[in-house]
Amino acid sequence: MSVLGADFRRDQEIRRYPLLLYALLPLVALVLQAWLPRVLGNHVWFDLPLVVTVYFALGRRSPIQGTLMGAAMGLFEDALSHHAIGVNGIAKTVAGFLAASVGVRIDVENHVIRLVLNFLLSLLCSAIYVFVYRILLGMELEWRWFTALFTAVGNSLIAIVLFPLLDRLQIKD
Amino acid sequence: MESFFIRYRNLLVLLAILLAQIVGLAVQVRHTDAGRNTLDPRDGPGVRLIRLWANALVSPPERLIHGSKLGIGGLWQNYIDLRHTREQNQELQKTIDRLRLEQALLLEDSRQGQRLQSLLDFQQKYIYKTVVAQAIGSSGSDQSRVFYIDKGSADGLDRDMAVMTPDGIVGKVRDVFPHSAQVLAINDQTSGAGVILETTRIRGILRGNAIGQPQIVGIVADQRIQPGEKVLTAGGDQIFPRGLPVGVVEKVVRDPDRDSFIDVIVKPAAHLDRLDEVLVVTATAPRFSPEEQQDLATSEALKGPEAAAIKEQKKASELMAEKLPGLTDPNAPASNPTVSPATGQPGQDQAKPATSPDQAAQKLLHPQHPDRFTPGAPAAVPADANVKSDAKPKPRQASATPAVGSTAARPAPKTAAKLPAATPQPSEPRRNP
Repeated sequence: MSVLGADFRRDQEIRRYPLLLYALLPLVALVLQAWLPRVLGNHVWFDLPLVVTVYFALGRRSPIQGTLMGAAMGLFEDALSHHAIGVNGIAKTVAGFLAASVGVRIDVENHVIRLVLNFLLSLLCSAIYVFVYRILLGMELEWRWFTALFTAVGNSLIAIVLFPLLDRLQIKD
Repeated sequence: MESFFIRYRNLLVLLAILLAQIVGLAVQVRHTDAGRNTLDPRDGPGVRLIRLWANALVSPPERLIHGSKLGIGGLWQNYIDLRHTREQNQELQKTIDRLRLEQALLLEDSRQGQRLQSLLDFQQKYIYKTVVAQAIGSSGSDQSRVFYIDKGSADGLDRDMAVMTPDGIVGKVRDVFPHSAQVLAINDQTSGAGVILETTRIRGILRGNAIGQPQIVGIVADQRIQPGEKVLTAGGDQIFPRGLPVGVVEKVVRDPDRDSFIDVIVKPAAHLDRLDEVLVVTATAPRFSPEEQQDLATSEALKGPEAAAIKEQKKASELMAEKLPGLTDPNAPASNPTVSPATGQPGQDQAKPATSPDQAAQKLLHPQHPDRFTPGAPAAVPADANVKSDAKPKPRQASATPAVGSTAARPAPKTAAKLPAATPQPSEPRRNP
């Protein structure tokens, strides 16, 4: 009985959003990520593109879509910085893939799970960033882990507030 | 085979995308002679295109947000909060008139200073043209302390132009797009600016650390460096003009990698985390705008009576000098007869007997009390001879006729050694008794 299988359940739980949201939300996240540091000062303890990537990956539950979304967001972030293009791209590609893969198996409606997932994926992103920069590229990078920790906490808190708001925008059959 | 791709399609897509990005990264990084990997400062065409797209996508909304913020602020300032504007306007007009005159004088001083600097052959750069720009966005990352301004190549901006505020330097233009530009702040880890400590004159390179503080790195431990000392641009990096304020020393910490070195943490003079308007230095060549030239003409016109008065004073002093009795014999020949211009040695004229009326008059000018320093005195001859033998002969200079009261006119041996052409000889005019 395929009706009771995991694929059917997954298909039933796949969320659909208005097409405009797919285009606008990532753009808004990128613009705010670039603009808010000017208002809040230099302490950028959040990563809105990552939060949006995780949200869509969890909602769509498609590793390919999560991968593509993460890659696109990461590459855009890199393009806005003066670093090599692809460092953030690799980190967010992995994050998007993992979020979608995990989303198939667990209940992503739970706030605690969302919080923990965002926290862990943020830390993973930072770790991948440092790995790519220092090990893969062999370049010098001074790194403070408490900044990564604060960013992870910031992302989790934003996700707690933002995810329920975005849930309301999904298309319901 | 088909089932393999279908079954592992997620993983395969992930690997393909990761591989593509890794290859892309490898293209961007290059190996330096120092054995380190570094990012190519000049983006390749592909990378630049991606940056251009990202900028084109993000900059318009940022401009919109920034513009609406300014619009709301402007609405309040320009329409609502406009009391006592007329009185203020009149006062400001008076201030402008006064400042224009002051500016003209300062411009003249600046021009004079520049002339003197060029005489001294300094490589000092002067800021003559700046473009005001608004900071509209940032990279959004702690690891990349760059920000975007709303002026680009269409406004005359180019790479490596200095960016500053009236408080101090901010960074340099890293990348230029048609209507925006990316500025690398001085507190980024990859930035670099040549700086000098104002009091101790210690030079170093300024760059950012992991938490966004500018620091001077690679300085040998020095007790003289104290918090509060001003830091200025050194001008050696060919980007920042010399002498611009950078900040003040906040604290001195030991370099974690090298024992005998220290890092000087600098508190930046410009508010790097709250930038709004910045100035981009687009020209350091001396170019005065028509308005400045007009102000300069005003200054010249104002200076006219003063200059005439100085000229009159000079003329009067010259007339007075003619009437006063001088120490120089007015009958002395105009040219120096003592030295031959070709050889630098006493010439033939000296050997000739004084037959002319001038020379006859010189005979009347013998000193009443000659001593051993007096030229022609018996004791002076060997001394002068010794000195002259060491001294290099010089061709005859303008000092052929010694000036009144000049050291050349006095028969001092040292002077004679340095200036043999001016050494008084028996045939030279002497002091009036």
